[in-house]
Amino acid sequence: MRKILEDRIYSLSVLLIVIVVVAGLVYPDTFLTADNFRQLLLNLSIDAIVAVGMMILLIAGVFDLSVGSILAFAGCFTAHLMFFYEVPVFWAVGAGLAASGLLGCLNGYLIAYKGINAMIQTLAMMGIARGLALMVSGAAIQNLPYWFGAIGQSKLLGVQMPVWYMLLIVGVFTFLMSKTVFFRRYYYIGSNEVAAALSGIRVKRMKMIAFIISALLAGIAGVLLTSRLGAALPTMGRGLELRVITAVILGGASLSGGVGRIPGALLGALFMGIAANIMVIARVSGYWQDIIVGIILILTLWTDQSLKKNYE
Amino acid sequence: MMNADSSYNMRSKRFYGLKTTCLVWVLLVTGVSCELPTRTGEGQAVQQPDETETAAPPENEEYVMVTTAVTMPMYVNHDQAAFKRWGEKMGVKVSILGPADWDVPAQINTLEEVIGTRPTGILVNGTDAALAQAINKAVAAGIPTVVYDSDIPGGRHHAFLGTDWYEIGRMQGEEMVKLTGGKGKIAYMGILGLSNMEDGFRGLLDVLAVYPGMQVVGKYDDKASVEEAARITSDVLAAHPDLAGLCGFDSNSGPGMALAVKELGKGGRVKITTVDWEPEHLSLVSQGIIHMLAGQKRELFTWYGAQFLHDMAHGTNRLSGNDERAGITSVPEKVNTGLIRITRENVALFLP
Repeated sequence: MRKILEDRIYSLSVLLIVIVVVAGLVYPDTFLTADNFRQLLLNLSIDAIVAVGMMILLIAGVFDLSVGSILAFAGCFTAHLMFFYEVPVFWAVGAGLAASGLLGCLNGYLIAYKGINAMIQTLAMMGIARGLALMVSGAAIQNLPYWFGAIGQSKLLGVQMPVWYMLLIVGVFTFLMSKTVFFRRYYYIGSNEVAAALSGIRVKRMKMIAFIISALLAGIAGVLLTSRLGAALPTMGRGLELRVITAVILGGASLSGGVGRIPGALLGALFMGIAANIMVIARVSGYWQDIIVGIILILTLWTDQSLKKNYE
Repeated sequence: MMNADSSYNMRSKRFYGLKTTCLVWVLLVTGVSCELPTRTGEGQAVQQPDETETAAPPENEEYVMVTTAVTMPMYVNHDQAAFKRWGEKMGVKVSILGPADWDVPAQINTLEEVIGTRPTGILVNGTDAALAQAINKAVAAGIPTVVYDSDIPGGRHHAFLGTDWYEIGRMQGEEMVKLTGGKGKIAYMGILGLSNMEDGFRGLLDVLAVYPGMQVVGKYDDKASVEEAARITSDVLAAHPDLAGLCGFDSNSGPGMALAVKELGKGGRVKITTVDWEPEHLSLVSQGIIHMLAGQKRELFTWYGAQFLHDMAHGTNRLSGNDERAGITSVPEKVNTGLIRITRENVALFLP
């Protein structure tokens, strides 16, 4: 019992099961349907992919506010290359991801090597990437190649592809963060950066890599979202950074670093997705949705802290 | 008798054999189950609302509006107020859903989740062309679907009601030419990256292009913020003290431009045209700070949009023995509700 309460993965899983059961009882015809679950997973897949990158950053004790803008830029840049220069889908996607990785590299270099505050740097990058997205896409780019659309619109076993990409990414990074020495160093860095550096870990390089991974995952999410929508919108990903940070904190990360697990990012995103889905089914007005999500976040963290203290 | 090594090798071979068989099965199952999207124009059935079904009693009917920026005052005061009034008049349930901020992907997610709940009809704010696929899903599910405000190219919705944004741009351009005598520097602003506003910008520029004396000094993104519009205006006026006019394309452009112009003591001298007719806009017109408003008849979008949904659900006007089989929609397909030109001469008629 104590283990369950202490581990956010368990406690959040239990909470999710309770919510699903209650919502299923209240809305059996609309909530508990295969179509609704497929849609729900599809809707949260983009946030969950970005949340994986944010989880790694938060474990390392940093965060990135520019992920939403990088997502928009990657999608718009890829679409721009295909639409205006007729670049083949494979190369355009590669270039879009490389460009997003480059922005992540710039973030990482300036933060890790030049000592710029992560909040200031990523806030600046948020503006730059959004401006670049606007510049390359104008109003929006539509009529993208068929095979580009197939990346995000195809289905496997009846489930749209972004959900499978999300599961693959979560699986790969869960393995890397739990089983490989290289990635486990992020826990040391997040817990005590100075001690990590003294023990021989190349902290600056590791931090830069974390920003590159986060930006690459945002780029993948941008390409998938553009493919799914069939259009590149420069307004994509607005407010994504806060949603993702909320999901990751819910999933067990801490702003002070050193804690968190990749499945927590998925569970946090799942929690946010289910909450949003229930609010749509219950016809809760948009006025209330942000307020309710905020209250849920505070209540979850507060309950979690209270239970832990009681057991201590 | 087998030694330990050969036994291990056999187990290992069996294990890899099993793994390979499993992998082949997984690939076969996934390969067979992979569905590619249909190509544009390929025969995806568009299901018309089934008029032969008996309509549900009014208390069981639900009409859902799906928009973005659900808390935007212009939407609340015009679109949503008219939609709610219509619901009360008809005695049916109306729901308004969507994200609080301007977030088109979130609007699409909401629309796709609403489809699964099978409402009587869906009224979609046509905020961006990317909505087309979600709209098509609603139509394919047999739900009467009407788009309002801006049309969605590629969408198979049953009807559209709204304004031609290109005309909004032209109207502002023509008024600006009249106000400035066809000479002077002009700047314009709105939310960059929105397809309807880009149409408006195009309309404005097409008019100004005919007048060589009109010089466009800049296109700016005010991010739908009064503060940002005011900041841009004061910067532009600092760079071009002889600026003749400003054109605005979102609800907050006008109040922001007017604020900066007033603070710089240039009220009335710098000509301002903009969109929308909220009380704040009307007050600025009566003060002579804003010279013309290109107003949309937004109440008509949602009132008649909802009425169209109701008529489709009830089969009010049948045009053939079976409209569904005939592939026709029994409501007007495209309705341009037109524009309202508000100036100092007629503003009193619109003031609350």
